[in-house]
Amino acid sequence: MTVSLYYRQDGPDALVACALEEMLLLYHRPSGQTHMVISPVPEILGELTAGPLAAGEIVDRLAQRYELGARDQAVGAVEAHLAEMTALGLVRAA
Amino acid sequence: MRHSLFLKIGPATFRIGSAWRQPLDHLKTLYADYPAADGGITDFTVRLEPSAFLRRWVRPSIFITGDHGLADAAPMSLDHGLLAAEMGMNLQMALGWRRHLLLHASSVEKDGRALVMTGESGSGKSTLAAQLGERGWRLMGDEFALLDLLTGELLPFPRLVSLKNGAIGVLAAEAPSARLGPLLTGTAKGDICHLVPRADAIVRMGERARPSMLLFPRFGHEAAVRPVGQGEVFMRLTQASTNYVALGEPGFAALTRFVQAVPSHALDFRSGEEAIDMVERLWAMRE
Repeated sequence: MTVSLYYRQDGPDALVACALEEMLLLYHRPSGQTHMVISPVPEILGELTAGPLAAGEIVDRLAQRYELGARDQAVGAVEAHLAEMTALGLVRAA
Repeated sequence: MRHSLFLKIGPATFRIGSAWRQPLDHLKTLYADYPAADGGITDFTVRLEPSAFLRRWVRPSIFITGDHGLADAAPMSLDHGLLAAEMGMNLQMALGWRRHLLLHASSVEKDGRALVMTGESGSGKSTLAAQLGERGWRLMGDEFALLDLLTGELLPFPRLVSLKNGAIGVLAAEAPSARLGPLLTGTAKGDICHLVPRADAIVRMGERARPSMLLFPRFGHEAAVRPVGQGEVFMRLTQASTNYVALGEPGFAALTRFVQAVPSHALDFRSGEEAIDMVERLWAMRE
């Protein structure tokens, strides 16, 4: 049996976002670092505003609005993004 | 220190102390028309000290220091004392200024609107600003542009313009010789000559302007103008700012507002005349 890892945002007011054309700037208040991100990072962060979610749940929610292709591959891709976002301090394991 | 001088440039005040009289004599002459600083509390102190005890007298050699300094800064010859003082002031601003977002950029103003130009050393931003400053624009600064964190306005910092190598002849042909400082040969950046901004730039150095265009000039390339995307502009301006990280969220807010509001272009050019013509045309079309 595999255990899904849940992720949450790094605090409700941790990020200040600013869209610059195709790019999203994120100012991370706890660290003072600025991150430049592109899709699908803003969409993943957007889903996590509702509360902690696992990668599979994020994919299911995003699939209601976007064509994501094969679910297994999409979950793998979102997990990889979540790992990177965790390393940057943008999200935390719940 | 044995000799000292107070200077006010835009919003910043400096006390410059020197072990020698010569650099301050040059500064006094070139900054004669600037408003007098009252000699009270200053934002920064610059100190020109002998690099070693005997270096005050024997082959005099200057070590630049002050409130902020670089431990490994190379000593400079006393003949370059004026340059050392100017570098010392730049160093204080670059390392210590926190009241505004500081961009390594030149800026000029017309009708209350500012044109900002940023780029690496040698890009032509300083020469271009100096030339525009002789041709109907108000020079706001050739080195640092100060962005108000709340209003987004640009503050002037019209210190002496540092002309290098080929730019010296270009401006010597446009500006009266009385506004040019001594020619400093053999510096780390070649020949350098300082230009006193026109009187209006000095008199109006407390007058802000709304940034209305950003250019990334690049001297020595076939004439071309390209729009620059906001993401690239943001990235390049964070690199051009010495205090973006230190300012934290207010710096983020000020810079994002600037990037969203100000149209940006890359400007390649082969001569000052060509660049000025391109700038004037872009400026006329900006809205």
